[in-house]
Amino acid sequence: MRLSSVLFISMVLPIILTKCGEAKDPVSRADSYMTDPEAVKRGRLLFVGTCAGYCHKLTPERVDALYLFDCDWKHGSSDQEIFNTVTIGVPNTRMLGFGTNFPEGENDLWKIIAFIRTNSPQCS
Amino acid sequence: MKAKRSKFEFLKLMLSVFAIILLASCGAEDDSSITINESDSGLFDPNIVGEALTITTTHWINNKSIGDGSGPVTTELLSEPQSANAENWLQYGGDYSNLRHSPITELSPENIDNLDFSWGFPTGTSGQFAVSPLIYDGIMYVTSSYNRLFALDARTGEMYWRYDHPLPSDLRICCGPANRGAAIHGDKILMATLDAKILAFDRISGEKLWENEIIEYDRGFSATSAPLIVKNLAVIGIGGGEFGVRGFFDAYDVDTGERVWRHYTVPAEGEPGYESWSGNSYETGGAPAWTIGTYDPELDLLYWTTGNPAPDWNGDARLGDNLFSDSVLALNPDTGEREWYFQFTPHDVWDYDGNTHLFQVDIEQNNETIKAIVQANRNGFFYVVNRENGEFIRATSYMEQLNWADSMEPSGRPVINPAAMPSEEPTMRVCPGALGGMNGSVSGSVNQSLGLAYIPVIESCQLMQKGISMFVEGQMFTGGLPTPTDVDVDETGDSSSYGHITAMDYQTGEVKWRYYDPQPMMAGTLSTEGGLVFTGSQTGHAIALDSSTGEELWRFKLGGGIRSQPVAYQLDGDTYVAIGSGNYQGIAGFSVADVAIPEGGQLFVFKLEK
Repeated sequence: MRLSSVLFISMVLPIILTKCGEAKDPVSRADSYMTDPEAVKRGRLLFVGTCAGYCHKLTPERVDALYLFDCDWKHGSSDQEIFNTVTIGVPNTRMLGFGTNFPEGENDLWKIIAFIRTNSPQCS
Repeated sequence: MKAKRSKFEFLKLMLSVFAIILLASCGAEDDSSITINESDSGLFDPNIVGEALTITTTHWINNKSIGDGSGPVTTELLSEPQSANAENWLQYGGDYSNLRHSPITELSPENIDNLDFSWGFPTGTSGQFAVSPLIYDGIMYVTSSYNRLFALDARTGEMYWRYDHPLPSDLRICCGPANRGAAIHGDKILMATLDAKILAFDRISGEKLWENEIIEYDRGFSATSAPLIVKNLAVIGIGGGEFGVRGFFDAYDVDTGERVWRHYTVPAEGEPGYESWSGNSYETGGAPAWTIGTYDPELDLLYWTTGNPAPDWNGDARLGDNLFSDSVLALNPDTGEREWYFQFTPHDVWDYDGNTHLFQVDIEQNNETIKAIVQANRNGFFYVVNRENGEFIRATSYMEQLNWADSMEPSGRPVINPAAMPSEEPTMRVCPGALGGMNGSVSGSVNQSLGLAYIPVIESCQLMQKGISMFVEGQMFTGGLPTPTDVDVDETGDSSSYGHITAMDYQTGEVKWRYYDPQPMMAGTLSTEGGLVFTGSQTGHAIALDSSTGEELWRFKLGGGIRSQPVAYQLDGDTYVAIGSGNYQGIAGFSVADVAIPEGGQLFVFKLEK
C-alpha cells in the first residue's frame, strides 16, 4: 500500500468519521426537560433571576449582552456548547463561568437550556 | 489502472481537503494557537478600528503655562458658597450645599435668545456622557465615558492635556461606562475609574501624581462618581449593587493617595444593623455607594447615600430591613464613623437605590429653622430629613404615577402596596420602574430664592418579575427581571413612557409646576439666579426653562440624548453654559426612550452674546 494511502486511512479518514459523528448533537439532558413543564418553569425562574436582570433579556432590547432567543449564537449553539459557555465563561468579558454552582447543580443549568430551547425559533 | 489510481488519488485529495475544512470549521475553538479577538469578528467596529489604526498614545502632557494664575484650590475656597464664585464650578454639586445653582444674573429669561453656540469638544468615546465639568482658573476639566480626562481652555475649548485611562475588557458595570466628573484640590485633579481605581493628576501639566486601587474590579466593583473633597480627604463610593458586593465608600489622603478609612454600608456580624439581614445574606448585601455625597462644614458631618440591597428583585433570602441599604448616612468625616442614618426603602425589592442627589437647605417649620437634607428619591418620594439628627420631617410624591407604596407612616416608613411586590407571574404595572422616578446618575438643582427644587423625572413603569438567584462572585446577582410596560407607540412615534421637570416647593412638599417631555428625562438640571433652569432631553435637545413658571424659553438640538449635568460660569464678563451630549442605548432603551440615535460624546459650550 502506498504511503499516501496509509496516511489517508490512518489520519484523514478518522477525522472525517469523527467530525461527521459530532455533527449531530447527542441527546442532551435538556431534551428530556423540554417536555416537563415544571422543569421548563424552573429554568425560566433561574433565567429570570440569574441571567436576565441586566444582561440577557427576554426580548431583543438594546443592551450590551447577547439576546439568546434567536439563531445568532456567538459562542456555540449546541446544548453542550451552551452548557460549557455558562460553566466555563467567556474570557475577557463579564460572562464569568458559573461552574455548576446552581442550587440543584448542573440539572438546573440543563433546565435553563431547556427553557431557552422551548422559547427559541427553529434554526437551520 | 493508471486512470483508476488517478481517480483514487483525486478522491483522497478531495477528502483530505474536506477533512482540513472540517478541522478548520469545527475544531478552531480547540486550537489554542488561534486567538480570535472581539474586533476580529468580521464586523467593522468604528470605535476600535478608528483609534487602533491611528494612535497609540493615551496620555498627553502640557508643558505650557496655562490658566489665569489663580493658584491652588484651598479648603477655604471649597467651603465658600457657589454664590461667591460665578467664575468657578469647583465641585460636582457646585458647592457643598450641592444645589447646582449658579449666582449668574446676567443671563435671564429676557436675553436667553442671545445665548449662542461658542465651541464644542469631542470626547471620542461612546456611552453616556454624564459629566458635570469643573471650572477653575479659566480651565475646564471634563471626564468622559470610559474614563478619559481632559483639561480645556474654558473660553475657547483648546485642549491643554488629556489622559485616557486603560481599561480591561471585562469590566463589571451594570449600566454603561459612565463617569460623572472629577474633583479638584490644591493643584490636583482626581478621577475614579470603572476598574475601581482612584487617580490624581497635576492640574496644570496633567502628569499623573498617584494611583491607587480601591478594590479588585473583577469582584463586581466599579466607580463612576466624582470624588468629594472634604478637608484633605477625597471621598469616593463604589458601585456593584447588581453584583452582590458588600458596599462601601472610602476616604483617601489627597496628597499621598493612601486610604484613611473605609465605611462598609452593610454591617458585619456583631455590628448594629446586622440583625436586619437573615442568614448570611449581609455578605452579598449590596448597598453600594455609587454617587457623590455632600458635606456640611458647620456641622462637620459627611452625608452619603446607599443603594439597593442584593439581589435586587428577590428578597426571600435577605429577610429584614436590610440596613443600611437605600439610606442616607451621616458620618464623622475624619474617622468614617456613622453618627446617624435614615432608611428610605426598608427591604427594597424594586431596585430603588437611595443614591439620588442630596441638597442642603433650611426648612421653616413651626417658626423654627431646621437644617435639612432634601432628596428626590428613586422610589418616587421627595424627602425632607433633619440633617443634624436624621429625623424624618416629610415625604411627598414628586411623580404622577407612584403606586408601589400607598402612604407614608409618620416615622417615614413607606406603607407598601402588596400587589407591587415582585412575583413569578407579575401583572401589576409598578411605578416607578427600576430606574426610579429620578435616577442617581443625574442631579437636580435648587433655587433657594424661589424655594424650588428642579427634578428630572422618569415616568416609565415596569412589571417586576421575581426569579431564582444564585451568587457567583463577580457575576450579576439580581434575582429578577424588570420589564418596561409603557412601550405602546402613538402616531407620532412616542411611547407611553414620558418625562418631566418637576419644580418642588421644598418648604411644603407640593408641586409648583411641571414641564413635560415626550421621553423620560435623564439629564441633570442647572438652576441660575437669573431665573433659568437648564437641562436636556433624551431627544437630544438642550432646554432652558423659566425657573418660576416652567415655560420653555430656549431649545438647541445637540444631537445625542443628554445625560450630563450642565454648568454655568463667567470669565472676563462673559457668561457660558456647558452641557454634554451622548446617551447610552442600554439605559435609553430601559427607560423606553429613543435608541436609534448613535452613541457618542460631544461637549457643547454656549456663550451669551452682548
